[in-house]
Amino acid sequence: MVSVLPAPARMAAPARTRRIPAWTLVLPPVTALGLVFLYPLALVLWQSVSPDGGGHGFAAYAEVFGQAAFRNALLDTVLIAAGATAGALLLGFALALVIAFVPLPGGRAIGRFVDVFLSFPSFLITLALLFVYGNAGLANGVWTGMTGAATGPFDFLHTRWGVVLAEVTYFTPFVMRPLLAAFSQLDTAQLDVAASLGARAPRIVRQVVLPEVLPALAAGGSLVLVMSLNEFGIVLFTGAKGVTTLPVLVYGKAILEGDWTGACVVAVVNIALSLALYGLYRTLTARTARPEGERRARA
Amino acid sequence: MLVHSRRARWAVQGVFLALFLPVFALPFLVVVAASLATQWSGALPSGATLDHYRTAVRGEALDALTTSVLTALAASALALATGTWAALAARGPRARRVVGALFVLPVAVPSVVVGLALLVAFSEPPFLLNGTPTIVVLAHAILVTAFAHQSVAAALDRLDPAYEQAAASLGASPLRVLLRVRLPLLLPSLSAAAGLCFALSMGELSATMMLYPPDWLPLPVKVFAATDRGALFPGAALAVVLVTTTLLVLLAVSRVRTRASYR
Amino acid sequence: MSTGIRFDGVTVAYGGNVVLDAFDLTVEPGEVMALLGPSGSGKTTALRAVAGFVRPRAGRVFIGDEDVTDLPPHRRGIGMVVQQYALFPHLRVDANVAFGLKARGTPRAETAARVTEALETTGMAAYARRYPRELSGGQQQRVAIARALAIRPGVLLFDEPLSALDARLRSGMLAELARLHRELPDVSMLYVTHDQGEALTLADRIAVMDRARLRDCGTPRDLYRRPRTAFTASFVGSANLLPVTVTGRGVRLGDTDLDVPTGDAAAGARATLCLRPHLVGLGEGANAVRGTVAAVQWRGATHRLEVDVAGHRVTADVRELRETPPPGTEVTLHFAPDDAVLLPAGGVADETAGGEAGDPADEVVGEAVGEAAGVPGGAVHG
Repeated sequence: MVSVLPAPARMAAPARTRRIPAWTLVLPPVTALGLVFLYPLALVLWQSVSPDGGGHGFAAYAEVFGQAAFRNALLDTVLIAAGATAGALLLGFALALVIAFVPLPGGRAIGRFVDVFLSFPSFLITLALLFVYGNAGLANGVWTGMTGAATGPFDFLHTRWGVVLAEVTYFTPFVMRPLLAAFSQLDTAQLDVAASLGARAPRIVRQVVLPEVLPALAAGGSLVLVMSLNEFGIVLFTGAKGVTTLPVLVYGKAILEGDWTGACVVAVVNIALSLALYGLYRTLTARTARPEGERRARA
Repeated sequence: MLVHSRRARWAVQGVFLALFLPVFALPFLVVVAASLATQWSGALPSGATLDHYRTAVRGEALDALTTSVLTALAASALALATGTWAALAARGPRARRVVGALFVLPVAVPSVVVGLALLVAFSEPPFLLNGTPTIVVLAHAILVTAFAHQSVAAALDRLDPAYEQAAASLGASPLRVLLRVRLPLLLPSLSAAAGLCFALSMGELSATMMLYPPDWLPLPVKVFAATDRGALFPGAALAVVLVTTTLLVLLAVSRVRTRASYR
Repeated sequence: MSTGIRFDGVTVAYGGNVVLDAFDLTVEPGEVMALLGPSGSGKTTALRAVAGFVRPRAGRVFIGDEDVTDLPPHRRGIGMVVQQYALFPHLRVDANVAFGLKARGTPRAETAARVTEALETTGMAAYARRYPRELSGGQQQRVAIARALAIRPGVLLFDEPLSALDARLRSGMLAELARLHRELPDVSMLYVTHDQGEALTLADRIAVMDRARLRDCGTPRDLYRRPRTAFTASFVGSANLLPVTVTGRGVRLGDTDLDVPTGDAAAGARATLCLRPHLVGLGEGANAVRGTVAAVQWRGATHRLEVDVAGHRVTADVRELRETPPPGTEVTLHFAPDDAVLLPAGGVADETAGGEAGDPADEVVGEAVGEAAGVPGGAVHG
């Protein structure tokens, strides 16, 4: 008879004889990141409280916060980011919905195109919009050609609206990608059942599809919010004199004015804003990604 | 399928194309058209020419393209090595979470601020990098590391632990398991990550504007310089060259990937 | 080279959850030991403790005379075959089989010879240049076995190797594995399965596991003919488990005295009578009991009768009947005294029958066990 009695109490096995613990292997890349990224960021924070005159304090903050240019930039940044996010969410949801659920000729090619679009530089969009809506460009050209007027009516590119339009165009694919992934996991039987119960398309979208993909929508939306807060190329390329965002202000102060301390103050504000939103984004995506992340080896 | 009647489907498709084409396809067509023209005062550009391209592939413009490609190659290699190493070394759920959070931080911080931070940190000895190509490469590497790390980490999550366990049971040391089993199985994801890193670095403008030295001028800066002084049409040609180069590299990388995943 | 396996008080826990509890078992050199149990019984954990993929919280694991508890998996010299094959998809069949030899630095010429030999042993020599994805499931499993054999391990571990195959392939592979065992008489095999058929066919001995513990161990014939616990009785084959009282000459079921060897059980004690359904006959005979037919199931070669006897459901598998008794008919059942086994009653509540054991249709559990099975099987505490 094999013993099924509890074994006599035994010491836990002695530690494995290993030269180096496994976790030390993670140190080189983390150190590298720390040296070239975290340490410089810390210096930015330090510089922002170390005015050129010497000593330490928040004098630079008071000075920067007092400037109308900074307050305008903050307002512009927030307004443009909010507008771009709202636009990208609406457009991205509508387009993704059609790609996922209405058979289209070349639907797959469109999906691939969206992927490629993500890796293009953002300023390309602004450049294109200059040719479409610029002073000499497609839209105004059509207008003057048709009406014979000397100039066309489209002159919004150098305003906030121009920046918002460019950002909506550029960021919409960032909303579409997680949405398309979420749509592909949606059980189409649910839609068929809803349709067989007499629900029409708008109702199905509102009551079946939307609740299912809300996490993906939220995740995509907050990603776009962060990215539009940090966007630089689009604003720079519109050459809009009246529109300044925080990143543009950082660039202006550091490179054009040579005021590093002021630039660091604006940078700290920008980082704080972005990190807060990014934390939100990570929380939202962590919730949607949980089931896959929890995969474990079979015991 | 959401829309069942044929007419409704046509209507939806029509609206879709009316939104999708102008918003996404038009920009590229317009830039390409402009790059072949000398002026645009009517509905269509006029004065067809290839001059912009002739200038765009020689002299300074060619140098800028070479600079961009070299920067992107170096930055992608650095980012891929660091990101992959970090993803592979972080074993166990807690380590994965901490390292993951650390390596996505560069995405959350504005690129301009990354540039500023490097300026502040590396403008005086002992780390005097300001004014060297190294600082540009470094900035690009930092900015794309997050993407490299994320795609490798996601692929590792999907990798069945049975493979490395089978290899270990056959007597393969951890290093051998890494080189002969885990990395080959990750090859498709690694090449995808490499392509993404390369493309992002090729188009990077924000941090580059803060950092580039006069003798290391990447193509996006050149595009900006051209449009800023009003030379929109040559600028468009430069942009087309930039995008085409990027697409060619992406295509080559995706061919590697297909080969790797078909084995 | 012949090496056995020995578990010495091995306990494995994840967090506070004990999945293998003070496990003692010895696999003799050259023996095939099946670890049989429902899912979550700890059998796979035991196998992974031998392979080195889980570290015991307490206890030691020996391969041969060597204590391997602290050795990393790649130093243990074991061959392992798992349910999902785990063939390296980026390597051809021959490279897969050569993998372990290359890891050991075996000379090239010898590697080639041993790869060919291993592939021939499993009948896969013709597929050496294929990639795993070009093979069927059964072929992949043969390659996985060849890969494990190529390193000539003293110990082979099988983790549910046939679960991913369909029924026909499974019986073919089972015969192949039995042949392999004959051809490699020195290799000890540890074979984890939840399928009693595989265990009965292949194993020299079976270790029955349930809820992190070893419940029983013996030769298939012993466990089948003379189970020691109600759990074993119901998990290895099907069983009627009937509550009885021990009398002077036998046992009493309801009002009927039955002639059953009682061993050293004291008169008046309560016990569980284990009766295999196929050993119960229809009609008069020794140990006749009367009951009412509740249901009749036609299963091709046999009829399965569900008969209520003295308030308990008894299942009888009888040769196909020309005329089946309709439900409600009074019938008489009988069984030979030597075909019944008396089990201790106290064990029944403790040794709950596993819910996921094999084919549910074959699972015949008497009322006593059925009630006990209602007890939630919570965490097992050491």
